[in-house]
Amino acid sequence: MIEKSRISSFQMAIMMYPTILATAILLVPSITGKFAERDMWLSPILASSIGFLNVFLAVQLNKLYPKMTLIEYSEKIIGLIPGKILGFAYLFFYLQTNGIVFREYGEFVVGNFLSKTPMIVVIGSMALVCAFSVRGGAEVIARSAQIFVPLVVILLLFIFILLVPDLEPKNMFPIMDKGIMPSFMGSVVPASWFSEYTLIAFLLPFLHDRGKGLKWGFISVFTVMITMVVTNMSALFLFGSITDSFTYPVMSAARYIDVADFLQHLESIVMAIWVAGTFVKISVFYYALVLGTAQWLNMSDYRTLVLPLGFLLVIFSLWTAPNLIEMVHYLTTTWVFNALTMQVAIPILLLILGKIRRKRGTKVGSTRND
Amino acid sequence: MLKRSWRKSEKGRKMQKTEYEKKEQDSLSNSFNNNVQNLRDIYKNCSDVVFRPFFIAGKGKAILVYIEGLANTEEIDDNVLSPLMQESTEYDDIKTLLKKRIAVSNVKELATFSDCVDQISIGNPVILIDGRATGFSLDLSKWEQRSVEEPSAEQVIRGPREGFIETLQVNSSMLRRKIRSPEFKMQAMEVGRYTKTKVIIAYMDGIVNKTLLEEVNNRLKRIDIDGVLESGIIEEFIEDNPYSPFPQLLTTERPDVAAANLLEGRVVIMVDGTPFVMIAPTTLYSFFQSNEDYYSRFLIASLIRWLRYFLVVMSLLLPSLYVAVLTFHQEMLPTTLIISVAASREQVPFPALVEALIMEITFEALREAGLRLPKQVGSAVSIVGALVIGESAVQAGIISAPMVIVVSFTGIASFTIPRYSAAIAIRMLRFPMIFLAGTLGLLGIMLGIITIIVHLCTLRSFGVPYLSPMAPMNASGMKDVLIRAPWWSLRTRPHFTGGYNRYRQPPDQKPGPKKGKEK
Repeated sequence: MIEKSRISSFQMAIMMYPTILATAILLVPSITGKFAERDMWLSPILASSIGFLNVFLAVQLNKLYPKMTLIEYSEKIIGLIPGKILGFAYLFFYLQTNGIVFREYGEFVVGNFLSKTPMIVVIGSMALVCAFSVRGGAEVIARSAQIFVPLVVILLLFIFILLVPDLEPKNMFPIMDKGIMPSFMGSVVPASWFSEYTLIAFLLPFLHDRGKGLKWGFISVFTVMITMVVTNMSALFLFGSITDSFTYPVMSAARYIDVADFLQHLESIVMAIWVAGTFVKISVFYYALVLGTAQWLNMSDYRTLVLPLGFLLVIFSLWTAPNLIEMVHYLTTTWVFNALTMQVAIPILLLILGKIRRKRGTKVGSTRND
Repeated sequence: MLKRSWRKSEKGRKMQKTEYEKKEQDSLSNSFNNNVQNLRDIYKNCSDVVFRPFFIAGKGKAILVYIEGLANTEEIDDNVLSPLMQESTEYDDIKTLLKKRIAVSNVKELATFSDCVDQISIGNPVILIDGRATGFSLDLSKWEQRSVEEPSAEQVIRGPREGFIETLQVNSSMLRRKIRSPEFKMQAMEVGRYTKTKVIIAYMDGIVNKTLLEEVNNRLKRIDIDGVLESGIIEEFIEDNPYSPFPQLLTTERPDVAAANLLEGRVVIMVDGTPFVMIAPTTLYSFFQSNEDYYSRFLIASLIRWLRYFLVVMSLLLPSLYVAVLTFHQEMLPTTLIISVAASREQVPFPALVEALIMEITFEALREAGLRLPKQVGSAVSIVGALVIGESAVQAGIISAPMVIVVSFTGIASFTIPRYSAAIAIRMLRFPMIFLAGTLGLLGIMLGIITIIVHLCTLRSFGVPYLSPMAPMNASGMKDVLIRAPWWSLRTRPHFTGGYNRYRQPPDQKPGPKKGKEK
């Protein structure tokens, strides 16, 4: 097998946590707020159903083809040529998505902190660091996630606790004033974030305790949902109906912190630790892309692909959109359909076809990988 | 290319063999004169080798060969020469004679010249006897050695005060005195073509992981080098990642540290001629733990451990944080503080990055000078450092006072790291961090930290992940990393022993007034 190291399902869960959340806590509260307004805290709960569905799909597909990733079993399920085409579509999708993640990161850092630093330096330095971890393989990304995720969680808790004096819980009432529709509309964009759980299709084959994959996948989705609910709630309690006028509500909330005139202006520290979460997110996407490409090309080692694909990712991040406004627009419109098609609809189809194939007893896939 | 030229020179060397190489594999012959002549040829121009011919019981020709200063001449005179040379001794068979007359505990029979040379070189006198194709070595070596002292690099307040010395036998006996069980094993091997340094692999049978032991053995056997003068030379040959700034073997001068690690299932590698033993595998955390943590009460030990972790982070990051805040994030400081810092920096012509580099390099220079100089001059260095660099540089307006504070605190913080090898690694990484802080601010620092952590995640020490038990996570291991849990609750050995012989002790040993009454 192309990846020799093994990870545990707990490690997979901990890797996926920042993979969804790192960028979700930046732009998503504001986008959700635009649609759901007072009910924005409900939207992540609805959206998480997509996450649960995705974990379920990936685990079921993995049960059919235990040692294969998405790229490999799509060839088995729909045949070599269509499978290669679908594989390419997936790789391109991840190339573009990761480009977007890079761009979100770059826009955030340049827009808020290093306004005079060229975007390419900010993105390029991150790409180098991520390339270093992707070269180490899934194991190394998982271990670094184990170090950084507790830091990110502590950071979020820290922000919320210090914000408590400024919170106004009344802002959430009346609940579901206009019915379920606004919160449902608001859940569409977070749902496209949750659909990124399809990435576990690239990690499941390397679990050494695959039986616990489903359980830990669900726990991971659940914790992400809780975190998003808490984030949206605190943004709502703090800003009320004007939440959607901030681009980065959580960051703006961190600026409000002022304890004893000493703990103030903490946004730089918040940014620094948030970067660690983004690092995990980019690394996981980057890893899926590199591993998938190597499998798509039937290569025996993926390490040679790391730097060329990293270069391509940096270029894609700059091509993605001319500016932040257009990117946010893209993320709330086209990308939702793109993401949900690639990450929800196609896996459902693959699962159905795979089940049919298995029932018919055509042993194309099953003989070779048991 | 390099390989080829090495082979060539090897060939050239082979053409003119030394006298010893020619005769090394030969066995001793029946001809006494021949044997003696060969040995004399081998030890030609070795003025310290003594050849002492004598007659056993006034009849049989024999010769005693030993190295001056390595052999115990008094004992040789009393226990070997005088009983053998007595005219009254009945001389029939030398073997019975040895049994009857020679009061030496360890006697070995030798068949080849290389055996003889090995014995002579470790100080054991060798007897060759007329008419026999074997020689005998007598275990009568004695040489000057340093007495056991408290190691200066690892001081403790509570804990044993003895340290290893340069002599391997003394070191292994110190360990044996701590662990008396016969399950404590010590395998010996030789490394170094010329120095023939004895290396001992010590482990606890039944606790150590067999594959680990095999791996250590294989890595040591692979070494082919002319000489081993310090354990550091071996360390560089058996590391997992030679390019990493982090040490992958723990070195210690203390027998109690070595014994504790043996009981945790690690392997201890002892090398003759150095007071430092190496311990494998190691994790990052063991470099930040002092043996005293385990002897003082656990609450204090845990607190001190946290303090130490904090200081480790400070010694890596403090100068770069200062540079980043001054260059990019002034708003992070409270207003009064930033005003006073800005006021003190008014006179300083350099940007914070340059200032930090100047001070850090000066500090490193002072430290290095203080280490290498004779002790009497060392104090002069600290006076010059404190007065000239501390006081005058600030007064002259070259360096700001806060920078002096930052650098000195960093220095103090780095002195709190119990293991010197880890402290050096962090000292080294401080400089790239300062550069990153000067160019990208806090983001740069974070990227640096991520790189370091990713590197640490890839690192292994003899197959054990360097960051375990933190990543991969292992809950019972965290008891000895996040805190120092009390001894009665530290039930499990570290994870890498392979789950086999996991428990150190039975549960429910928490003391309390009721427990005493049970008995």
